[in-house]
Amino acid sequence: MDFSYSESELLFQTELRTWLEENLPEGWLDGNRNIPADNKGKGEFLRDWQRKLSEGGWAGISWPVEYGGRGATLIEEVIYEQEMARVKAPPVLNIIGTAMVGPTLLDIGTEEQKEKYVRKILNGEEIWCQGYSEPNAGSDLASLQTKAVKQGDKWIINGQKIWTSYAHLSDRCFLLARTENTGKKHEGITAFLVKMDQPGVETRGIRSINDQYDFNEVYLNDAVADDADIVGEVNNGWKVSLTLLSHERVGVARQTFRLQKQFDELVELAETLEKNGRPLILDPIVQQNLAIFRAKTKALLFSYYRHLTNSIRTGKPGPEGSMDKLASSELGQEMLAYAMSLQGAENTLWKEDALVDASWQRDYLRSFGYTIEGGTSEIQKNIVAERILGLPKDIKK
Amino acid sequence: MDFAFNEEQTMFQQTTRQYLQSKGDLAIPRNYMEGKQEILTQLWGGLAELGFMGINVPEQYGGIGLGHLSILPILEEMGRAVIPGPYPETVAFAIPLLNEFGTEEQKKRYLPDVASGKTKFTLAIIDDRKNQLKADLQGDNYVLNGAKILVAHAEFADLMIVAVRTGASNQDVSLLIVDHQLHAECQPVKSIDETRTLFTVSFSDFLVPKENLLGQESAGDQILKAGLNELTAAWSATMVGGMDRVVDMSAQYVKTREQFGQPVGRFQAVKHKVVDMLLALENARSLSYYASWTVENKAGDTFEAVSMAKSYNSEAFIRTANANIQNHGGMGFTWEFDCHLFLKRARSLENYLGSPQEHRENIAKESGWNKEKVLQYNK
Ligand SMILES: Cc1cc2nc3c(=O)[nH]c(=O)nc-3n(C[C@H](O)[C@H](O)[C@H](O)COP(=O)(O)OP(=O)(O)OC[C@H]3O[C@@H](n4cnc5c(N)ncnc54)[C@H](O)[C@@H]3O)c2cc1C
Repeated sequence: MDFSYSESELLFQTELRTWLEENLPEGWLDGNRNIPADNKGKGEFLRDWQRKLSEGGWAGISWPVEYGGRGATLIEEVIYEQEMARVKAPPVLNIIGTAMVGPTLLDIGTEEQKEKYVRKILNGEEIWCQGYSEPNAGSDLASLQTKAVKQGDKWIINGQKIWTSYAHLSDRCFLLARTENTGKKHEGITAFLVKMDQPGVETRGIRSINDQYDFNEVYLNDAVADDADIVGEVNNGWKVSLTLLSHERVGVARQTFRLQKQFDELVELAETLEKNGRPLILDPIVQQNLAIFRAKTKALLFSYYRHLTNSIRTGKPGPEGSMDKLASSELGQEMLAYAMSLQGAENTLWKEDALVDASWQRDYLRSFGYTIEGGTSEIQKNIVAERILGLPKDIKK
Repeated sequence: MDFAFNEEQTMFQQTTRQYLQSKGDLAIPRNYMEGKQEILTQLWGGLAELGFMGINVPEQYGGIGLGHLSILPILEEMGRAVIPGPYPETVAFAIPLLNEFGTEEQKKRYLPDVASGKTKFTLAIIDDRKNQLKADLQGDNYVLNGAKILVAHAEFADLMIVAVRTGASNQDVSLLIVDHQLHAECQPVKSIDETRTLFTVSFSDFLVPKENLLGQESAGDQILKAGLNELTAAWSATMVGGMDRVVDMSAQYVKTREQFGQPVGRFQAVKHKVVDMLLALENARSLSYYASWTVENKAGDTFEAVSMAKSYNSEAFIRTANANIQNHGGMGFTWEFDCHLFLKRARSLENYLGSPQEHRENIAKESGWNKEKVLQYNK
């Protein structure tokens, strides 16, 4: 048992820190973290950043070198996520590509798919979205209705996806569609890699509670895909989608480290805000609450490391990822709620009128998505109960 | 980096579990509660035979010479079976303090006997409000008058480390190794946790030889702080074991108990509660491992790490032990079923060695959320 970094790990960390100091956008480390607000400007800004990372060798940390990755260890990948959270690096626009599609293709894609897509995921040349959810298939994903039918040598896709994050900025979609209607519902699903820029695909933005247009409806009207665009085999998409979910590791790491940063900022907030001329941080009740959050954020960090140690030892990610996801999304929500409470009567002011920094209001509202996206907390609890504790499954139809 | 048990720790854990099971597992605390205190003597002998009394005793005094992380798995297992006895007090308080502050004489006199299982220690640190314990140095002896309360297992321990006032000021605290079995009066008090027998120990003109002073005179506060850190980490580890057990108990029970034609564990109100228990356990385990790691490595943040573990774990232990009773329905409310053992142990540890609130005050202090820091920040 050893909670410290080895020499080579420390070296990796220093190298990355130096690179970040030299390459983050002008003024970023001093707190001028301005990202263009409009969709187009934001997209360009984030694509540029992704390209820079990739050119510097800082994308796809644990991916094989032959596909443009760094070939580093899992621990180094974690250090990477930790450092990125520490400097509040710009968000990864291609999060779905880098966190899920890339690793899945590396795992079970054809050689041709690896060659064609993986590099472009890393350098931000092609942005990906994930077309899973539908209006009538959310938690119960296997009841999805979007259909793909083979006509000649093409697959013709019809149906509707919803909540598709960044679809409006994406070049490709990792999409699940029904290819068989007989048998059990999760047996007739196929995973396709679908080009977004084609006449049969239309996206419409959805406004979310934090006044952003990050997710979309995606309409598929005779959209077209080839045999070569199928991941795994026809009717094997459910298994493929599970592979994809098992690659959540990176996303969960990101969330865990974001929490550490969020906690530090919460303390700064309590140091900045005053009540009756005294900084809030001196209030014993505030101190008690912060101490609880401190213990919990540390606990989640160490739990994440423990689970990582397990998957390094066994060579495969375990169901503990669901625990990490569940716990970190809930805690993130709790801390942001507390940040709102600390801001007193002016806590609802936002955008340019925000009391301290509009990101508190924005992140607070955004945090409601944490416990819904990627499988709701209730669904995660079912997974943990069934796979880790062996409790009986819900009755399903 | 490696955050899980190594081979040696795993071996200690498995050996302890097998040994405790061979001795009856939860029948051990049950027997003890029913007055069959010889079970404790047997248990201690067995632990010594396994070498578990000398894990952190240096080799030249008959031990194995390992550190705190090696006793961690044993402590967890003891918590899992609500084992009575002053094991944490002996291995995570007396041994480390003797190692660090004991004279060569004292080490030779006590450590080999501790390692062989002959000598058991407890500690007496809380004064009787109305009868504070004072020690006057007269010639070669300290003369003790006054009383200590809430001393665990005074009946079973051979010696105790006692914090005494040796001067006029509040800071004049010294630690003495006291053979209370001589003629101190040990009066048991009743506690809901009958697996940890508590005593009021009264001294009147009780002589303690000067050479039994542990560390410097009036340096007791500092020494105590070091010792209590390690002891608090140890008790936090036993809580992890206790929580691990109640999660297991609940999961097992709700899988087999059927109502409305199905296992009650299928109802999400029950199922999700067990998951919440598991998540609390995960947090507690992580904080406990980290605290123990800082103790063994004398890390700069030991004090805070231990306070995080103690404040979180004691509340989480109570919460999970409560939920465990609820998950068992009427059965959980019976004396016969084991649920209450964990609840009672959790309560008796809640404020022992500092309440959760006090430990959170430590976290605040260590994090620098005090005045000076803020003034600096505003400048
Ligand atoms: C910010 C954000 C981004 C997203 N991005 C994407 C994306 O890029 N691609 C994509 O495909 N999807 C995306 N989603 C969709 C997300 O995966 C779904 O919203 C989620 O799976 C829940 O489905 P639903 O919205 O249909 O809710 P429902 O499944 O209808 O759930 C409603 C409520 O019922 C509960 N519930 C449902 N079933 C059970 C059960 N068995 N037991 C207990 N409770 C249950 C849920 O927990 C929830 O509280 C995103 C969602 C959000 C909020």
